[in-house]
Amino acid sequence: MSRTITLEADVNTVDTATNLTAQGSVAAPSRVLPRNITKITGILAAVSGDGAAEGSGVFFIRLGGTAVRNGEQTLMFACGQTNTVQTGSDAPAMQTGLFKLMDADIAVDPSEVIDVQVEMAGEDLGDTCAVVTLIFG
Amino acid sequence: MAKVYRSREGDVTAVDTKTQLTTLGSETAPGPLLVPSHAKSISRLIVTGISDLAAAADNATFVRIEGPGLTEGPESLAVGADGAQTTTGTCQFRVADVVDLDIPVTPNQEILIFGEIAGEDPGQETVGCTVVFDI
Repeated sequence: MSRTITLEADVNTVDTATNLTAQGSVAAPSRVLPRNITKITGILAAVSGDGAAEGSGVFFIRLGGTAVRNGEQTLMFACGQTNTVQTGSDAPAMQTGLFKLMDADIAVDPSEVIDVQVEMAGEDLGDTCAVVTLIFG
Repeated sequence: MAKVYRSREGDVTAVDTKTQLTTLGSETAPGPLLVPSHAKSISRLIVTGISDLAAAADNATFVRIEGPGLTEGPESLAVGADGAQTTTGTCQFRVADVVDLDIPVTPNQEILIFGEIAGEDPGQETVGCTVVFDI
């Protein structure tokens, strides 16, 4: 049996660890891990931006909190790049695929709270939105 | 058995220049990336990198992993490539690549990660690398 936790947030500032604590219409979903699980088996993640600032950056996840064994886990999952357009023209949409890691094998303690953060590093790309799903069992 | 994920990132601003990845976003000095005690191997690398294309150029990107933590010596891995005809209107997001490996390691020793671009100088390349250890 699989269980999941999905969290999302706007990540709008470079070099700032941003807590993912919302889930769209659910403002404060539970971040308590299911009971009887000891591993994060899969991670899904995606991010894209409005291209409001020029630059290049990478995006990574931080997994922490009382639930995570072996210290904070950090995972790169995406990168992005934007340039301003010529006057009178528009940039194309930035539609990112889904990062999927289906054998993550991260040790956790059941019924504890997990902290999920996403961070943009490099240059500031403007406003971005990130979503992360953790899969257990 | 479990996996431990450790990451570094950095900006590569000159072509044909080995550049150590020493930061992790808000952590400007995360310290040495040590092989966890009891680690047996690096089972995968997760790599990502992209150019800001501030110059109309084309380049290829790779990472090097080195240091006393690697029992058999340094390794290198392609990350990707970028290019543009102009310096306006380019924009893209893409997901990182997961590469399964089996690289023996020496516990408690340091691993150094470098990013490098070859070809033409695009301006700046931001490179990220996650080292995944089997413990």
